[in-house]
Amino acid sequence: MQESKAEALAKLRKDLKEMLVKDLSLEDVNPEDIKDDEILFGEGLGLDSLDAVEIVVLLQRNFGLEIKDMNKGKEVFYSIDTLANYVYENTKSET
Amino acid sequence: MSKEEHTKKRGNRLGLAIFRASLKIFGLSGTYGLLYFVCLYYLAFDRIAVASSMAYIRRRFKKQSYLRRLIGVYRIFINQGKNLIDRYYLISGLGGFDIELSGYDKLNSLLGENHKGVILLTAHVGNWQVAMTALEKLGRTVYLLMRPEDNAAVKEALNIDNESRRIRIISPESYLGGVVEIMNAINSGSIVSIMGDRSYGQNSFEAKLLGDRVRLPYGAFTIAAAAQCPVVVLLSAKLSEKKYVVDVSQIIEPVQGPKAEKQEKIKGSVQEFAGMLDNYAAQYPFQWFVFGDIWEGNN
Repeated sequence: MQESKAEALAKLRKDLKEMLVKDLSLEDVNPEDIKDDEILFGEGLGLDSLDAVEIVVLLQRNFGLEIKDMNKGKEVFYSIDTLANYVYENTKSET
Repeated sequence: MSKEEHTKKRGNRLGLAIFRASLKIFGLSGTYGLLYFVCLYYLAFDRIAVASSMAYIRRRFKKQSYLRRLIGVYRIFINQGKNLIDRYYLISGLGGFDIELSGYDKLNSLLGENHKGVILLTAHVGNWQVAMTALEKLGRTVYLLMRPEDNAAVKEALNIDNESRRIRIISPESYLGGVVEIMNAINSGSIVSIMGDRSYGQNSFEAKLLGDRVRLPYGAFTIAAAAQCPVVVLLSAKLSEKKYVVDVSQIIEPVQGPKAEKQEKIKGSVQEFAGMLDNYAAQYPFQWFVFGDIWEGNN
């Protein structure tokens, strides 16, 4: 059971990296260049608030997820790891 | 001196108290009369205020003499004073205004056919605070995206703390510029109002306004593109002592496509908005309250 969670999270991280690079048209960045724990906004990957809009849409479109709470957003948008965990925790009942 | 310092607050408690008392005793017309003297003082002694308005006037009236331009600045000061008086008149319950809402049916049907909300793009022209009160009849919550330092004055002007009002504030200084809250508001069918005339140097595209290059923020169009909701331009003007017109008939559709293509289209949307401001300035030349040289450094 634990292993399948690890596998699911690994797949989610990979998918999310690909989605970010594609949807945000990140130039000169390959999905595999993004570290799992790299900070997404500001220093780190260097995304800005308007990229956040795209991530909000990306979560809605691909996973049917909406972040209602600002504090939750801060936690979720921290890195690929936190994003993947959030998606996993909120969609696992569907899979 | 920074731009923020240029936008220092003017007027003191005594002055405001005099205006408020005058409003109760002499009514609107009588109180407007005081403005002609007060604004003359600012015209003579407040060089920063004059320069911040002159930046617009000299572009709007390119062929006029300095003296005529100075009279233009004086008229803008007076109209700004009337706006402030009108806001107080409205919130203190002394009376109301006849507000003609142009494009109301269009906006209402847009909200009706779409489960999402809309972005309301406005500017510091006319009396947008009074205009906001006119939108209450849409029955939707209106979120204003504004910096905390502007909150106090706007909260007072719009009586936002009053629970019965459906106007709320989102701070662009909250996490990620408030985009999560903005997206939630749009997705829940609310209206999000964003100022489109000052970029503060970030997230802006160049456009031509009154013949010169200026940088205008594109955030509203990026959010609209992501949420696939329309941008409704709100421009208001004072027509007479007790009459305003609020125009929400101009709509800019959200752009679509890959990011590079989308960016180009958004540049077009920014220019479209600049064109609307051009037209506004042509129609209501003395209701332009974007104080500061927004063209500075772009030409």
